Amino acid sequence: MAQEKLLSGCAAAAQGAKYAEVEVICSYPIRPYTAIMMELARMVANGELDAEFIHGEGEHAQVSVVLGASAAGARAYTGSSGVGVTYAFEVYSPAAGGRYPLQMAIADRTLDPPGDFGSEHTDAMSCRDQGWLMGWAATPQEVFDNTLINFRVGEDPRIMLPQFVCQDGYFLSHIADKVILPDKSQVKEFLPPYKAPHPLSTTCPVSHGPQIRPDQGAPMDAQRAATFLEVPKVIEEAVADYNRIFGRNYDPFLEKYQMEDAEVAFFIQGAHANTCKSAIKHLRSQGLKAGMVRPRWVRPWPTQQIAEALSKVKAVATVESSTSYGGAMRGGNLVHEVRASLYDLETRPPVTSFMAGLGGDVILLEDFYYMAKILSQMMKEKKVRQHVYWIGFEGE
Amino acid sequence: MQEGFDYKKQILEPIKSLRSAPREEMYVPGHRTCAGCGPALNYRLTAKAAGRDTIFIGPTGCMYVANSSYLCTPYAVSWIHAQITNGGAVASGIEAAYKTLARKKKYEGPFPNVIVMAGDGGSVDIGLQAMSALMYRGHDVLFICYDNEAYANTGIQTSPTTPYGANTTFTPPGKAIPEGKKLFPKDPPQLVIGGHPAVKYVATTCVSYPVDLMNKVRKALNVDGPTFLHMLTPCPKGWKFDEKLTLEMGRLAVETGMWTLYEWENGTYKYSHIPKQYKPVSEYMKYQGRFTHLKEEHIAKMQAFVDEKIQRVKAIAVEAPIPTPKARA
Repeated sequence: MAQEKLLSGCAAAAQGAKYAEVEVICSYPIRPYTAIMMELARMVANGELDAEFIHGEGEHAQVSVVLGASAAGARAYTGSSGVGVTYAFEVYSPAAGGRYPLQMAIADRTLDPPGDFGSEHTDAMSCRDQGWLMGWAATPQEVFDNTLINFRVGEDPRIMLPQFVCQDGYFLSHIADKVILPDKSQVKEFLPPYKAPHPLSTTCPVSHGPQIRPDQGAPMDAQRAATFLEVPKVIEEAVADYNRIFGRNYDPFLEKYQMEDAEVAFFIQGAHANTCKSAIKHLRSQGLKAGMVRPRWVRPWPTQQIAEALSKVKAVATVESSTSYGGAMRGGNLVHEVRASLYDLETRPPVTSFMAGLGGDVILLEDFYYMAKILSQMMKEKKVRQHVYWIGFEGE
Repeated sequence: MQEGFDYKKQILEPIKSLRSAPREEMYVPGHRTCAGCGPALNYRLTAKAAGRDTIFIGPTGCMYVANSSYLCTPYAVSWIHAQITNGGAVASGIEAAYKTLARKKKYEGPFPNVIVMAGDGGSVDIGLQAMSALMYRGHDVLFICYDNEAYANTGIQTSPTTPYGANTTFTPPGKAIPEGKKLFPKDPPQLVIGGHPAVKYVATTCVSYPVDLMNKVRKALNVDGPTFLHMLTPCPKGWKFDEKLTLEMGRLAVETGMWTLYEWENGTYKYSHIPKQYKPVSEYMKYQGRFTHLKEEHIAKMQAFVDEKIQRVKAIAVEAPIPTPKARA
């Protein structure tokens, strides 16, 4: 029987892993994601979940352990935050290149220095080009749902890729909201058991990951790139099935809020979108037709859908919670991809970017009103004055 | 987890002589190791002893690069590459997967022999953390350190097991540093024995003593839990000796006391192949180009190091148990 519970983002992720019946789990403590593993440890100790729960000796080991488990044919799950995410970096490419569809939950966190527990997307965003699926949730419910959707997409025989399932540290990981936990039969219908195509087996010997000649590298890279072209189709199928079986209403790629008649748009990722929506209600009452687009995936980047969603507006602001020091726009990461997505449109809106929510900072309603002022100005002038605005550091 | 479950552990019989060893090869021709490669012969003997129901984990090193070139591999059993950093962790995941798959009846065969074949760097240098964690957690895995005493695949750089006085490309002898390598090596088996209560069996082997080697592999695999083998594998390229002398180098290592063959089982040491009269270390060193720059005083320093080690062997060669904590006995 489906039931409604009050769960934090971390608890929702753990429930997602439990419903997915993960078989090998590897933990290492770091705030804020730790609460996911605390929940799973409790479930294994209680006998609620039959899985091997391994205490990794660090994040590098965590990803290595689940890589081995996945190669042997088990559904495997791990997670991390902040410098833990970057400590494991070496193993991300082998996990994706070996086509091991393991899942890693990330409750994001700033990187050092200085030591800071706050949310920031830079940790996970630094890993976005390692060949994993990646996306942020905005509510605990979406964390739960994304856990199942990602296993389904990642384990699809056409895809076979690992997944970063991200949520904002604290804003999402530690704030409780209503989550509908489904009936087991619904999960059974949606997510078939994991079947590794070529597991490390004693009856059918295989070799995983031998050396290659330089000229064998490009074909493999091309094959991985081609796989990513297949992912959107598989996401569409999976989300359609999910909506049908679980009674949700997700757009496969983007959450679009008040975009039907929007003249200016915020492009924002993760839980700050909830504040953004409140700001939009106020802005509309003041006469500004604002809207919001929130990507549910960073990899694969929904280029086409973003171009369509933003083609009609007259000004766009990306709200960046990650840094790209020295990058083309001198600020965040999203703006590069949004601008590239719009480049082929015949008429494209001006796009600027706002650095906000860094170091765990809250993005206030007032911050969105400030951004809206700049957006109105851009709409009038039909151009970008500044590529990046650092919220709180700009003069009037 | 679930202690009472029957995971169908394999039990391998002892091998009486080279002639009675299994004829079946699990490490077959077609690899690209150097002529006279000690690690390759070591792999062949290990795989033969382990048999068909085995999974190898191969962290980066010679036994990855020279074995699996161009998408061809010489393994007749399943094998997976691991990073040089994480052999112990990948093996832990494989073992854990087989445990849950067996419990859930998704796998019903004999529990595989899970073996990490790591070089000295992948065992006790950059791979130390993952190896130690595997030993601590008690996974049913055999971790092998095949020791050719250098980072050989990258062009012979010093590792923590490279002997004192060796000329490597990171320890070249020169006017300011005449002996080349100034440090004395780590002791891998003692690292494992000293700090990992879950470990019940550790042994050293040398490729020149193949029956002893294969039996130690089998004994280690028969133990339920983590085990460790430190295997001496002479390297003609790295040590700069004539490639036909690989087995001779291994024998001389044992006959001079540079290498000792022993087993450590539940706290008890058992030495084998103890020479009646140890040869001087110069007998061993003179064949190897990595030592030719050394002066009398350096060789004397090496002899003193070995003499001290031999004293320890003599002290416990009577096969008397050494005092151990009760929990481990």
